[in-house]
Amino acid sequence: MAKSNANTELCKGCRLCIQVCPKQAIIPLEDLNKAGYKIIAINTAACIGCGMCYRMCPDYVFSIEQETKSYG
Amino acid sequence: MTALKKPRSIIQPVSFCAGCGHAIIQRLIAECIEELGLQDQIIACCDIACSEWSLDALDYDFIAGPHGRIAAVATGIKKVRPDKIVYAHAGDGSSYVIGLTETCYAAIRDVPITMIVVNNACLGMTGGQMNLATTLLGDKTSSSPYGRSKDSTGHPVDMLKLIQNLDVQFAARGALFDPRHIEETKRYIKKGFENQVSKKGFSVIEVLSPCPTNWNLSPVDAMKKIREENTKVFPLGIYVDREERGTGCG
Ligand SMILES: Cc1ncc(C[n+]2csc(CCOP(=O)(O)OP(=O)(O)O)c2C)c(N)n1
Ligand code: SF4
Ligand code: SF4
Ligand code: SF4
Repeated sequence: MAKSNANTELCKGCRLCIQVCPKQAIIPLEDLNKAGYKIIAINTAACIGCGMCYRMCPDYVFSIEQETKSYG
Repeated sequence: MTALKKPRSIIQPVSFCAGCGHAIIQRLIAECIEELGLQDQIIACCDIACSEWSLDALDYDFIAGPHGRIAAVATGIKKVRPDKIVYAHAGDGSSYVIGLTETCYAAIRDVPITMIVVNNACLGMTGGQMNLATTLLGDKTSSSPYGRSKDSTGHPVDMLKLIQNLDVQFAARGALFDPRHIEETKRYIKKGFENQVSKKGFSVIEVLSPCPTNWNLSPVDAMKKIREENTKVFPLGIYVDREERGTGCG
C-alpha cells in the first residue's frame, strides 16, 4: 500500500495538511524543526496514501511512496 | 495509487511565506510542464513581486519583467521565439492594476501565452496594500485600515468578465482552499499549456490564493476566508473556452 512520507525539515507549520487528511493521520506537534517551525508527524498505520496532504502542502513536505521501507 | 513526488524542476526549498498560495501554484505549474514534457522548451516570466521567488526555485530559463509589465514581456518573448512555451506567473496588482493595459492588450492580440494571475486580494510584496481590482469591500488592509469602502475606492472588479468580451482562447478561475479545487486549478493551468502547444491563442488562469501574512490570518483561516467570502465575489469556473464555444462560468 502507498503511504505518505514527510520531510519535516521543509515544514513551515501552516497546519493546512491537518484538516485535509481524511484519516486524521497527520498529528500536529509542538516540536520545532531546525528553521524553528512547528512540525507534524504521520501516523503511518492510519495513512491510506491518498495524497491529499501532498496536494495541499505549500512546502512540498510530503511524498507518497509504495511501502517498501519502514517509516517513522 | 501512483507515487506522488515534488516535480524535479523544483530545485530549491520554498521561499514564500508559510501557507502562501504562490507555492502551491508553483508546484502546479511545474507538474503541468513535466506531465506535458515541456521542461526544455520553457521560458518563464515572473514579476517584480512575490512571484519572483520562483525565479531561482525552478530549473527553467526565467525572466523577471518590470513590475506590471509581465504580459508585455511574455508577448515580446513569444513573438521572437514562437517555438518556445512562454508562461507568466504574476500577481493581481501587476496584472489587473498597474499592468491592466499590458494584460488587456496581450488578450486583445490573442498572443498564445499562458498567463497565471494570483488573486490574493492585495499587493503582497509591498505590505498587503488594498488592490483596487480584488480587495473585497469591508476588508481591512494596510492601506484600508477601517475596511475598503465603495465610496472612496469603488468596488472590486471581476476581470475575467472583462476579458470574456475579448476574443481569447481560454479564461478560467480556480482556487486553492482544498485538494479538490487545487486539482481543478491544475486542470485549468494544464489546459493553458496545452493550448500553447497546439498553437492556440491567449490563455489566462486566475487563482484565488491566500496571503496569510498580509491578511493577518492563520493559513487555515485564510483558506476558509477564500472559500466563504472571496469565491462569492469571484465565482470559480471556466469563463471562455473557444474550443468548446462556452462562455458561461460555473
Ligand atoms: C513600476 C513599479 N511600481 C511599483 C513597484 C513596487 N511594487 C513591487 S511589488 C508591488 C505589488 C505587488 O502586488 P501583486 O502584483 O499583487 O503581487 P503579489 O506580491 O501580491 O504576488 C509593487 C507595487 C515596482 N517594483 N515597480
Ligand atoms: S501543510 Fe506542509 S508546511 Fe504546512 S504544516 Fe503541513 S507539512 Fe507543514
Ligand atoms: S496520504 Fe492521505 S491518509 Fe495519508 S497522511 Fe496524507 S492525507 Fe492522510
Ligand atoms: S507576502 Fe503574501 S503573497 Fe507574498 S509570499 Fe508572503 S504570503 Fe505569499
